[in-house]
Amino acid sequence: MAQPMIQCEGLTKRFGSFTAVDHVSFNVERGAIFGFLGPNGSGKSTVIRMLCGILEPSDGTASIDGRNVVEETDELKEMIGYMSQKFSLYDELTVHENLTFYGKLYGLRREALRKRYDDLLALTHLEPYLERRAGLLSGGWRQRLAMACALMHEPKVLFLDEPTAGIDPVARRELWDLLFEFSGRGMTLFVTTHYMDEAERCSHVGYIYLSKLIVCGVPDSLKLLPEVNPPGTRRIDVTCEHVTVGLQALRHKAGISTATVFGQSMHLLVDDAVSDERIRSYLAEAGIHSVDLRPISPSLEDVFVALTAKHAEGGHA
Amino acid sequence: MKMFRGFGAILFKEFIVMLRDPTTLFFMLIPPMIQMVAFGFALDTDVKNMGLIVFDQARTVESRQLVDRFVNTETFKVVGRVESVSEMESEIRKGHAYAALQIPPDFSRNLRAGHPVMVQLAIDGSNSTTALQALNTGIAVTMRDAIAQLLAESGRREMPIEVRPQMLFNPAMKSPNFFIPGVIGLVLQMATLFTTAMAVVRERERGTLEQLLVSPVSRWGLMLGKLIPYFCLGSAMAALLVLLMRFVFGVPIAGSLLGLTVSVLVYVFTLLSIGLLISTRAENQMQALQMTMTLILPSVFFSGFIFPRETMPWIFYAISTLLPATYGIGLIRAIVLRGATFSEYWPMLAILCAMAVGLFSLCAVRFKSKIG
Repeated sequence: MAQPMIQCEGLTKRFGSFTAVDHVSFNVERGAIFGFLGPNGSGKSTVIRMLCGILEPSDGTASIDGRNVVEETDELKEMIGYMSQKFSLYDELTVHENLTFYGKLYGLRREALRKRYDDLLALTHLEPYLERRAGLLSGGWRQRLAMACALMHEPKVLFLDEPTAGIDPVARRELWDLLFEFSGRGMTLFVTTHYMDEAERCSHVGYIYLSKLIVCGVPDSLKLLPEVNPPGTRRIDVTCEHVTVGLQALRHKAGISTATVFGQSMHLLVDDAVSDERIRSYLAEAGIHSVDLRPISPSLEDVFVALTAKHAEGGHA
Repeated sequence: MKMFRGFGAILFKEFIVMLRDPTTLFFMLIPPMIQMVAFGFALDTDVKNMGLIVFDQARTVESRQLVDRFVNTETFKVVGRVESVSEMESEIRKGHAYAALQIPPDFSRNLRAGHPVMVQLAIDGSNSTTALQALNTGIAVTMRDAIAQLLAESGRREMPIEVRPQMLFNPAMKSPNFFIPGVIGLVLQMATLFTTAMAVVRERERGTLEQLLVSPVSRWGLMLGKLIPYFCLGSAMAALLVLLMRFVFGVPIAGSLLGLTVSVLVYVFTLLSIGLLISTRAENQMQALQMTMTLILPSVFFSGFIFPRETMPWIFYAISTLLPATYGIGLIRAIVLRGATFSEYWPMLAILCAMAVGLFSLCAVRFKSKIG
């Protein structure tokens, strides 16, 4: 197996007495789409900044393609692309000028710049906006432009810090199509998000909570973790009318450990001792009669909820 | 060159951003012109036609002649006649006049009889400049009268000693000539500092700085690329101000134009370096603004712009030696007003050059290529 693209070992960042990132260790394989999840303020951006060499770790080491992020920043900067949370662009510059600027910034020669420019335009469909100032683009196009700018120098790894925050669902879907496209070409992607549906699209995910990395791995194998599927329990989806009323009816019943609404249905984690009939009768007491029950496997959200609860109890490091 | 990596790209971007940002262009070009015109006309300390109140109790030919002699100096202009001491004082308190001349009833009688005569000149001392001028003129006028009288009595025809003053450099003693070159130095400082102080901190606030930090751009490349466009704009502004001085205010340039150009360019570079230094240190635009103000105020008072440095208490003199404006204004005045040659002004230019190089290096070396 080849050396992982990104390697972190005990990565730690302290700001005064506050520990923003606490001994985080993980690897990201080449060509992976690594989804880095966690609530706001959990330390996601801090990890990215350390990996990009613009924030000095307080402790621990990290390397990208074998280059140490503290000692070999010059080589590192050639290899990575970074798209920050705010899609930082020069609003006064046109789309064309923004792209040219980033190409020149990385020292691209004229022909190389031209070729890369054409490639990225074809991928991002930005041609109609070439002469428009970046400040006048809508959220989705700004984000495409920011990504194209970050890709001008053909980085091996692209870091995207919440690339889909504040953009519409169609643009979100299109962005992910683009990410898959780049991944298919062999680029490694490191994406932070707090959308669970986006997490499901990643080849690998890591979940950071209160500065600590709680879990890291392939989504499908995470769903099989014993902490997520305690022995003697099962997960069921309950579809019924008035789900919110149903939720009240089931929430504090013995043997039902979690109950969460998902649109028109509820996801329950119940002890095997609690039969489907028992659940139906609880709901009937609340006046809900038309009920559809079916077993399900846990979603990534279930995984993170279960692991966060476990972590809060102090049972997991 | 690795040291200046990314310079070309930053230069390209900064020029576009600067030319498309109307506020930068506006602040760099319009207020300096307005300030120059305003300062130039307002800072005229030549005192002329000060209001004079006359309380003439004698009402004789001689008393009218005395008043005429006061008016003929062009320092005074009669703005009113009063009939009592209290009225006289009240006019001064109201600000209607700077001075009042009281001529006693026995003025002519005593004069003709050869007795000493007392006239009173009351002066508003609250403004020392006008008061001093009024005092000097008043003494000169009465002195001349007194001496003429004495000469007539003694039979001599000429003054025993006569001073023939010769004004070097500014023969008409016009105060705009003295102030305008200084105003150029001060106005240049304000405009360049305010605009460059925003240059880096604005990117920090917008988040684009982070984007630059993850790129392989070098500190020297970044700083020089930021500075050059402002340098071009600052130089253009300096040229405009010099033209304004020469052709609107009619201040002749006594020294070499080349020397003036070099001095002004070095001065502008030094100011831009300070602005950049502020911008790399400040965390937000508000802070940058405050730091800039902190620097500009002492420059107005301690650079020798208004008060001569030599008469300052040692602490302020020490501060003045650290201010680029001291040397910038000093050089412009030396070359424009006194026609100083290179061998005469080089020490100031050398200090300014050292400041320029030192401050710019400080910008690049101290610039943190990390965040947080």
